[in-house]
Amino acid sequence: MVLAGISMMSKVRTAVAGNLLSALAMLCGIVATLLFAGVVSVWTIYVSILIGALAGSLLAARVKMIQMPQTVALFNGLGGGASALVGILSIGGEGAFVRFTALLAVAVGMVTLVGSLVAAGKLHRVLPQKPVVWKGHALCTLLFLALTLGFVVAGIFAEGAGLTVCLAGAFVAASLFGLWFSLRVGGADMPVTISLLNSLSGVAGAIAGMAIGDVFLVAVGGIVGASGLLLTQIMCRAMNRSLMSILTGGPVKPTPQTPVKENEQLVVRIMDLEKKIKELEAMVADLEARVKALDGQLNAAPATPVEEAPTAAGVLSKARDVIIVPGYGMALAQAQHQVRQLADKLESRGARVRFAIHPVAGRMPGHMNVLLAEADVDYEKLFEMDAINDDFKNADAVVVIGANDVLNPAARDAVGTPIYGMPVLNVDQAPEVIVCNYDLKPGYAGVENPIYSRKQGVYLELGDAKETLMRLMAGIA
Amino acid sequence: MIHPLILVAVFAVSTVLGYFIIRTVPSLLHTPLMSGMNALSGVTIVGSIVATGVAFLSGGGVLSQLAGCLAIVLAAVNVFGGFGVTHRMLRMFDKKKK
Repeated sequence: MVLAGISMMSKVRTAVAGNLLSALAMLCGIVATLLFAGVVSVWTIYVSILIGALAGSLLAARVKMIQMPQTVALFNGLGGGASALVGILSIGGEGAFVRFTALLAVAVGMVTLVGSLVAAGKLHRVLPQKPVVWKGHALCTLLFLALTLGFVVAGIFAEGAGLTVCLAGAFVAASLFGLWFSLRVGGADMPVTISLLNSLSGVAGAIAGMAIGDVFLVAVGGIVGASGLLLTQIMCRAMNRSLMSILTGGPVKPTPQTPVKENEQLVVRIMDLEKKIKELEAMVADLEARVKALDGQLNAAPATPVEEAPTAAGVLSKARDVIIVPGYGMALAQAQHQVRQLADKLESRGARVRFAIHPVAGRMPGHMNVLLAEADVDYEKLFEMDAINDDFKNADAVVVIGANDVLNPAARDAVGTPIYGMPVLNVDQAPEVIVCNYDLKPGYAGVENPIYSRKQGVYLELGDAKETLMRLMAGIA
Repeated sequence: MIHPLILVAVFAVSTVLGYFIIRTVPSLLHTPLMSGMNALSGVTIVGSIVATGVAFLSGGGVLSQLAGCLAIVLAAVNVFGGFGVTHRMLRMFDKKKK
């Protein structure tokens, strides 16, 4: 039944029903458990469910779409915490298998709880978004992992007081492990972390199910674990990074050496030249900026935006085929409604508008799709990267809204940067690119985007996406 | 008590099954899928119900009962919140095409 519900979620049309079916399956599972386990008479259960249900429903109804990532992370963590508690409760059971699984449930559950809370904190900007690295971070992480495993294994043989020690040990070590590994993760890798934690919370549930011998729990936990893992894989592939490097390594270290010696000198020279070109470009940009500043002083009026807007708007009003690339910046500026208005406007003028969605745009898998759906953008206009990437060179104009790393062409050739090798949207092949970003700072990956300094066909509309879009629309009309 | 091996087998089979089913979901729906999965991971509520019930009936200490109730509360937040959020998201996908 759960399976049917999930497979119904693979189609947009049946997804709502699928979700309800899953929920119904869950309800049946709960009722069945109440009956079969013979605990119908225990009143505290109902009170607890009621409290949890109220809190959960309130949260679900109140939360804004942009806060979705941290909400999911938070719920996730609670599920993990519950699994850990089940593990603690069932540890007194008979047999080595029960002891082992109970301890494992405690360990995985605590990793999920602590990891998710840190992730949610980071997403909610309570904690610093930048990766936090403490002294000997990787070593500590591994140490805590080893300690956790050690306590769990030791628990198989332990009796009485020894078992309590193992329980406490696994509890503490797993929590520390969760803290250490999630603090390490930076903003851009968050989607991966959340999917992974999602997977872990499922596994924790499954293991807790093994501890208390409940097949339903084991089966559903397994499915959730698998789905989380699959999503994690998809995300990793989209960023061209292995899971291990995200969890332990942080950004890839620059490795300028090539294996062949003859090439080495060449590469060094090229890099040298590139550096010089960059310097020159920086100088030019600097000069241009100064000229602009002087111009601005001369005119003593907000001349720059007025001057710039007509060009970008002019390009757009002529364009027949427009591709919009949204990113996390759109989510931050809450500009999805303006984006839709822009799309509507262009369409009413006979243009074809499509949206290109990078798999890791935003802060969780599919984040952009949800936001655009909130603004009533038809999901048939949303295209995945592979489906639309060849069309950029034929498009008349590309509008980038709050996106950076996912369209950075440096990913293709800048060896040694964190994003090297990551598949990106071919925005740089488009003849005209309009960038509505807040500023020109590098994105989370911290790599300069060469598109910004392109000589032709780039219109930079800097500032809050809501306002720049309004300005664009006004210019078109 | 069900034999441990059966439990492990169930785990393996459902993992594989889940893997193949979820591969069919388009990335368009990954966020709702994830929050749906997330809600499902709240099944651990079943586990906490059993554990709490047993603790209550066998006259376990106040501490274990408290822990059990806490587990149920957490899991219930997970379940209801998760499904609620998923439903809200999916409804947005839906309203356009009528």
